[in-house]
Amino acid sequence: MIGRGGIRFLLRRLAQALPVLVFATFVVFSLLKLVPGDIAVTLAGENATDERIAEIRALYGLDRAFLLQYGDWLWKAVHGDLSKSLLSGEPVMTSIVRCLPNTLLIVSIALSVALVVGVPLGMLAASRPRSWIDSGVMSFASLGVAVPNFWLAMLLVSLFALQLNWFPATGSSPFLADPVLSLRHALLPGLALAAGGVAEIARQLRSSLMEILSSQAVRTLHAVGMHPARILWQHGLKNVALNMITVVALLANRLLAATVVVEAVFAVPGMGNLIVNGAILRDFPIVQGVVFAMVLIVISLNLLADMLYRVADPRVT
Amino acid sequence: MNPIDRDESAASFTLDLGLKRREALALLGGTALASTGLPALAQAQTKGGVLKVAAPANPSSMDPATGGAGSDHVFLWTVYDTLVDWDYTTLKPVPGMAEWATPDAQSFVLTIKPGITFHDGTPMDAAAVKFNLDRNRNDPRSNLKVDLVNITAIDVTGPLQLKLTMKQPDAALPAILSDRAGMMVSPKAVQTLGNEHDRKPVGAGRWKFVSWADNQKLVVTRNDKYWRAGQPALDGIEMSIIPEMATGLRSVVAGQNHMAYGLSARYSPIASKAKNVTVVTGPTLYCYMLFLNYSRAPLNNPKVRQAINFAINRQLFINATMGGVGEPAAMLLPSTHWGYDKGVAGLYKFDPDRGKKLMAEAGYPNGLDITVGGYTDQDAVRRSEVMIDQLGKIGIRCKYINGTVAEASGQFFGNEKKFDALQAAWTGRPDPSMTYALAFGKGAYYNAGRSEASEELSQLLLDSRIKEDIAYRKQVFAKLQRIVMEQALAVPIAFNFEFDAVANNVKGFKPNLLGKPKFWDVSLAP
Repeated sequence: MIGRGGIRFLLRRLAQALPVLVFATFVVFSLLKLVPGDIAVTLAGENATDERIAEIRALYGLDRAFLLQYGDWLWKAVHGDLSKSLLSGEPVMTSIVRCLPNTLLIVSIALSVALVVGVPLGMLAASRPRSWIDSGVMSFASLGVAVPNFWLAMLLVSLFALQLNWFPATGSSPFLADPVLSLRHALLPGLALAAGGVAEIARQLRSSLMEILSSQAVRTLHAVGMHPARILWQHGLKNVALNMITVVALLANRLLAATVVVEAVFAVPGMGNLIVNGAILRDFPIVQGVVFAMVLIVISLNLLADMLYRVADPRVT
Repeated sequence: MNPIDRDESAASFTLDLGLKRREALALLGGTALASTGLPALAQAQTKGGVLKVAAPANPSSMDPATGGAGSDHVFLWTVYDTLVDWDYTTLKPVPGMAEWATPDAQSFVLTIKPGITFHDGTPMDAAAVKFNLDRNRNDPRSNLKVDLVNITAIDVTGPLQLKLTMKQPDAALPAILSDRAGMMVSPKAVQTLGNEHDRKPVGAGRWKFVSWADNQKLVVTRNDKYWRAGQPALDGIEMSIIPEMATGLRSVVAGQNHMAYGLSARYSPIASKAKNVTVVTGPTLYCYMLFLNYSRAPLNNPKVRQAINFAINRQLFINATMGGVGEPAAMLLPSTHWGYDKGVAGLYKFDPDRGKKLMAEAGYPNGLDITVGGYTDQDAVRRSEVMIDQLGKIGIRCKYINGTVAEASGQFFGNEKKFDALQAAWTGRPDPSMTYALAFGKGAYYNAGRSEASEELSQLLLDSRIKEDIAYRKQVFAKLQRIVMEQALAVPIAFNFEFDAVANNVKGFKPNLLGKPKFWDVSLAP
């Protein structure tokens, strides 16, 4: 149960999130306005004239002062209205609600695979330091970090989708409508993304565990006859929990950003695709909306990590 | 020209370009059918099935008046019929939902075919057409005003007849009405839905709108009350938006989609190896070219512009950047277009020595430096490398500044006028007068310098629209194109061939000269 201290902690964190949200969206809005390219030209169509472009700017309020445009967007955003795509007219919230689950599913699969594979590998390497097992795991980890995820994605598609026909090559499916089909669509993108995560978790866990396992306290536990497996699980892992929470939280944030490439390879309509298309076309309501949503998610993930710290070690304030 | 001659010359042309036999046959099949001007109803069509298509871009709007992207048409043609259609091979206008007549120079009479209704049951009659044309001319959100600026009044003269009064004769109007301006939307739907009609279109086409998830999928289903008997063959179409070409092609090879269109020729080896896929190609109006700002130095010197035209080996450009599939461009119309003029075609044979001589005559014996805007995609960068090499041989040193399409185009055509030239493409327009007016007219947006090239050119742009007679218009376009090319106001390089990967059970699909696929005659074999 969350005590009064916990509630105060939550409220403090939420209060800190507000300026981050405003700052992030302001910076992105500024960059969009500074970068060359005029959405009014796109909106004016193939037979544009200078007069029509000026008309479009006035019609969509694109000729207003920069701060007015941002302020207008921010005012609507805090009232729950993320506006509509300037190009297609779809409400930004509808786009986000449709795309976010696809991205979250891929990231969840990637994170799960990274943990399920990375943790045992890290523990294995740490328990047999400087052995061939340790070298093998570290080499595998280096490969995982070095291999570009889009290249791995194309390999996975070529083998498992095109040749073996085990999984779909492209697209996504709503999870609630058909969870099995949805997972089949998301598995290959998730695996492509997971490679780097497996490597990172294995390496970080190995080095943190080795430090703990070589400490005086652990040597004493060995001396009094405690089983090595028990030492590893009860004392080793418990003591590296804080480190690993940090690593996993950072990894999750990075995976959210990294999905953009695998989404393109697999034609998954996710947040990465949404923001890239919006940025290329200068559709700023879409870009702002996605940034807003992603900042909220990152803040939530960090908040979750902070709360897990307190669970792992009640001494943390 | 005898259609058979055209088919034979097309065959030799494509085989010369190194197309595989299968691709050439597909092209021949398409052009042979298209040259009859008839839809492929003569083929036995299997009814049923949902065609799944990988589309490379999201529509900007499903309302033809408010959208703006050239890539919208493929989606729009599923839901809307047009007042005027066109021949797939030549783009010559043919009657669609209406026939037309010009009783005098400033009148244009439309007679609507009977028995057509919109998807919501509203009759497609003269009142509905007037509603649409008035909306296209006057609605603040309409991007079609400039297309219909010549119309001064629209009068309903009968339940299925209207008379358009024109400021001056406009021979381009039938072609204009074969495009967005001729796509009829249901007046009831627009009045009820307002701006929401952008996303919930109601037309009179072969299929009815079902749903559109942005950047994901657009779905349409059969219109059971479609006015042309026996059509369409397909129960529906699902268009998945897959911007990445390789991914779109993979979806067809994997059997998830039936076709992917608008691919780059560099995917030809992959598509050709897939046993379940046929490559379909065909000429289009899409012309890779260098746009020039000829209103300021150094490109205000016609000898420099002519030198650039002589310096480019267009066939080499096609071989190096287009997989050998394409047509060297002698002007802004391809050889199959009704407005093409053979007389202009021979002006710029590849001759770098002549280019160097012209540079010396222009006062640049040691060459000169120009800035060129380009795009960042892989194919565009490859094209720029070829240009740098070829122009470098006559002493023109190109500094490319690349950006996205929106960036680079906006910087060149917009107020910034950033580069001396822009390496881009002209996507083509239904009527050639639109192409030349938009690209070279005084004050036109795609005329970067906004200057008048010559009074004669301006007059010819007007003359090209005063009479509908094809023979007359061909003569005018011949003169117009000669001025444009002799003065080298642009550097047309090569016409792109449409490149589509089509599953073997897709029947009846034929490419068209506009380069924007229609699925009107497509069926799926069991």
